[in-house]
Amino acid sequence: MHNLGFALDGAWRVLLASLILGAGLPVLFALGIRSLAWGAGGDAEVHESGVTGPTPRPIGTVLGWACFAVVLLGVVLGITFIVASGFGKALSFEHIYPTIVNK
Amino acid sequence: MVLALVVVAALWFDFTNGFHDTANAMATSIATGALKPKAAVLLAGVLNLIGAFLSVQVALTVTNAVVRIQGSTGAPRPELLADGGSALLLIVLAGLIGGIVWNLLTWLLGLPSSSSHALFGGLIGATIAGLGWAGVNWNGDGSKLDGVVGKVLLPAVLSPVIAGAVAAVGTWVIYRVTLSVAARFTDQGFRWGQIGSASLVSLAHGTNDAQKTMGVITLALIAAGDWTDTKNIPLWVKVACALAIGLGTYLGGWRIIRTLGKGLVEIAPRQGLAAQSASAAVILASSHLGFALSTTHVATGSILGAGVGQPGAQVRWRVAGRMVATWLITLPAAGVVGAVMWWIGHLIGGAAGAIVIFVVLVATSVAVYVRSRRAPVDHNNVNADWDPVARDDEQPRVPVPTAS
Repeated sequence: MHNLGFALDGAWRVLLASLILGAGLPVLFALGIRSLAWGAGGDAEVHESGVTGPTPRPIGTVLGWACFAVVLLGVVLGITFIVASGFGKALSFEHIYPTIVNK
Repeated sequence: MVLALVVVAALWFDFTNGFHDTANAMATSIATGALKPKAAVLLAGVLNLIGAFLSVQVALTVTNAVVRIQGSTGAPRPELLADGGSALLLIVLAGLIGGIVWNLLTWLLGLPSSSSHALFGGLIGATIAGLGWAGVNWNGDGSKLDGVVGKVLLPAVLSPVIAGAVAAVGTWVIYRVTLSVAARFTDQGFRWGQIGSASLVSLAHGTNDAQKTMGVITLALIAAGDWTDTKNIPLWVKVACALAIGLGTYLGGWRIIRTLGKGLVEIAPRQGLAAQSASAAVILASSHLGFALSTTHVATGSILGAGVGQPGAQVRWRVAGRMVATWLITLPAAGVVGAVMWWIGHLIGGAAGAIVIFVVLVATSVAVYVRSRRAPVDHNNVNADWDPVARDDEQPRVPVPTAS
C-alpha cells in the first residue's frame, strides 16, 4: 500500500497549492471586478430600485486594477512553469520568489 | 511496414486525443458564450500546437509507468527485439488501437473519458496478451508513486475530488463577492477570466498529452532500429504529433463539449472562471509535484464542483454518474480491445497480422463516423438546450441527441 501513502502525501499538497492559485486568484479577480464597480459608482452596483448609486470613487478603480495585476502575475507564473518544465527546468520557490532551476 | 502502421496509428491516436479533450479547456467558455465556438476551438488548437512544441523534454519512458516493455533509459527491452522488434511493435500497435477505438466510442456517446487511460488501458491489455500478467507494472517497486495503481488509478480517484473541491470553494466565494455588482461589470470581467484560464489549460494539455504519443512513436522507431538516441526525439515526430493534436483539437469534439458545458451543469460565467482556474491550478500543481493525471478527470471534477458551489445551480447527477461509470470501465475496456487486437495480430502473424488489425481500426473509425452523422453535433447546436423542452413559441429546432 506504499502507493496510497505517496498519493495521499502528494494530494494534500496539490490541494493546498490549488486552493491558493486555483481558488485564490479567481477570488482576487472577482474582488478586482467588485472594486472596479465600487469605484465606478452609479449603477455599476446593485441598489434598491429608485435609489441612485453613490458618486465615483477613484480609489476603487486603482484597487481593482491592482488586483488584476496580481492575478496577471499569477498567470505569468503559470505559463513560465509550463514553458520551463517543457525545457527540462523547474520553478523553485526556495527563495520565496520563484526562480528557474535545472530539474 | 509494421513500423509505418504504428506511426500512423499513433498519430491517429494523437488526433483523437485532441478532439476528445478540446472540451476540457473550452467547454465552459463555449457554454457561457465567452468565446464563439469556432474561435474557442481555434484558440485551443493553436495553444495545443504551441504546447506540443514546448515539450522538448524526453518523454520516452512514458510506457514505463504501466508496462514493462522498456528499460529505465527508454530503450526497449532486449528480449523483445529478437525478431527485428516486431514483438514490441505488435504490442504497441494493438495497444494504440485499443486506445483509439475506446476514444472513438466514448466520443460517439459524448462521454468525456480520459485519453491517457485509454492509451494506458490499450497498452496494458496488449502487454498482458503478449507478455503475460508479469509484463505489467502493477504497483511499482515501492520507492515512489509508480505502476498502474500509483500512476493511473490513485490519481484518477483523487484528482477530480481535489479539482471539484477547489472549484466549489472558488465558485462560492466569487458568488458572495460579486453579489452586489451589476451584471454588465461581472459578465465582461468573467469573460476575460474564462478565456485566460481556459488558455492555460489548453497549453498545459498540449505539453502533457502530445508528449505521450511522441514517446510511443520514438519507442517504435528504436525497436525497429531506425533511431538509436534515447535522449532525443526526432524532429519530424515532434512536428507530426504537434500537428495531429492541434488539428484534432481544432476539429473539436462537439459532442463532448456539449456534455461538459451544458449536460453536467448549466454553467454561468463565474462558474466557468472558477472551474477553469481550478483545473489549471490542479494540473500545474500536480505536474510540478510529478503526478501524472488526466486532464479529463480534472476538468470534469472542476465543473461538478462549480455546480455544487453555486447556490441554486442544478447539477445533473445522472450525467455525472454515467461519466464516472465510463471512467471506471475505460482502462479495462481499452485493455480488452488491445488484448483482442494482439491475439488477432499474433494468430495471423507477421506483417499480415499487423495489417489486419490496422484494417479493423480503419473499419471501426469509419463505422463510428458514419454512425455519428445520424445525429450530428457541431458548432451550430453545441449549446442547444440539454432537456428537449416542448416550447410552442419556437421554430422546429435542429434535433440534438439527448442520449449522449
